[in-house]
Amino acid sequence: MIVSGMVAYAAAATVDKPTGFLGSLATAAEDFIKVFNKGGSVLLSLMGGILPTLIVLLTAVNALVRLIGAEKIENLGTIAARPGIQYYPVRYIILPFVSVFMLTNPMAYTMGRFLPERLKPAFYDSAVSFVHPILGIFPHANPGELFVYLGIATGIQQLGYGLGDLAVRYLLVGLVVIFIRGIVTEAITAKMMSRAEKAA
Amino acid sequence: MDGLTAIVVKIGRAVGGVVGTLYQAGRDAVDTVIRNVIPFMAFISFIIGLILTTGIGEWIAKGIKGSASSLPGLLLISVVCAIPILSPLLGPGAVIAQIVGTLLGVEIGKGNIPAQYSLPALFAINPQVGCDFIPVGLALGEAEPETVEIGVPAVLFSRLITGPLAVVIAYFASFGLYTSHK
Repeated sequence: MIVSGMVAYAAAATVDKPTGFLGSLATAAEDFIKVFNKGGSVLLSLMGGILPTLIVLLTAVNALVRLIGAEKIENLGTIAARPGIQYYPVRYIILPFVSVFMLTNPMAYTMGRFLPERLKPAFYDSAVSFVHPILGIFPHANPGELFVYLGIATGIQQLGYGLGDLAVRYLLVGLVVIFIRGIVTEAITAKMMSRAEKAA
Repeated sequence: MDGLTAIVVKIGRAVGGVVGTLYQAGRDAVDTVIRNVIPFMAFISFIIGLILTTGIGEWIAKGIKGSASSLPGLLLISVVCAIPILSPLLGPGAVIAQIVGTLLGVEIGKGNIPAQYSLPALFAINPQVGCDFIPVGLALGEAEPETVEIGVPAVLFSRLITGPLAVVIAYFASFGLYTSHK
């Protein structure tokens, strides 16, 4: 209240610019408060623009997850643990996606318990790498780290472009990246484990 | 009569259950927003205010502009963030990624960085995701201590490969993104 009143007064003033020692103090004070006024208007636009949608979306998805029941996805974990090349996409695309969507960060990593030890690091790598690409479309999965995506998305919004294109591409590229990450980490883990066994 | 009562009770329970779930979901949503989202928004707003009103913005813009608006520059950022010693330090709470993301967002908004680069940049600033959390994450998956011992370096080294690779993939996936507007 006081702050906005001060600025309104400064803007309406038609007197000469203050000079001398007190004048420079006054200018410094105005510059100081300008930083926070700008920050405040940014905060207001964030809270007015994104927050209402986010709350409604969070409510809807939370309800959906509760109604489906998180325990329903446990079967998927056992399927993903099967050997064979056709289960790679299940393990490093579908399972991370479903875990992060249903259990959210950080409980999603508990799904690793269905996998054999040698696959656990790869699954963790895959799942944790997906907690940000999912944010563009499903922010409920990791609301505390929303600004990894939103920081850049705000810039796009300022240019007047739609966010849909970026959000969809971020999600899809994210899926490709977590798939590759799972495979690479699985290979590295296998190599390090066999080396450790030889040394022992 | 007993049958009718049973049906009424059943319907009542089911409706009550759904409404209760929705209400609880709303409570959780508001709780998350107040505890996790708004505090970060306040913090980010302060940083944006600082960037936009002081000279810091120009200074950052000069530093970032060269590296964030070309593929080699973005690759360099991702390699630095993926260095196994640095990545666990950069990870916690994704705070670094969120701040850098916001800085880049401001520069994109001002037109200093082409909008097309938003997609590869999202991956370039984030190869360290979860690198601070590997032991905890593996413990949540009920991993043995031996697995954790091998898993931590395995994930960290993997990021050196997959971090820059993700940027390259995102770069090629960004063709046609926000370019027709120009």
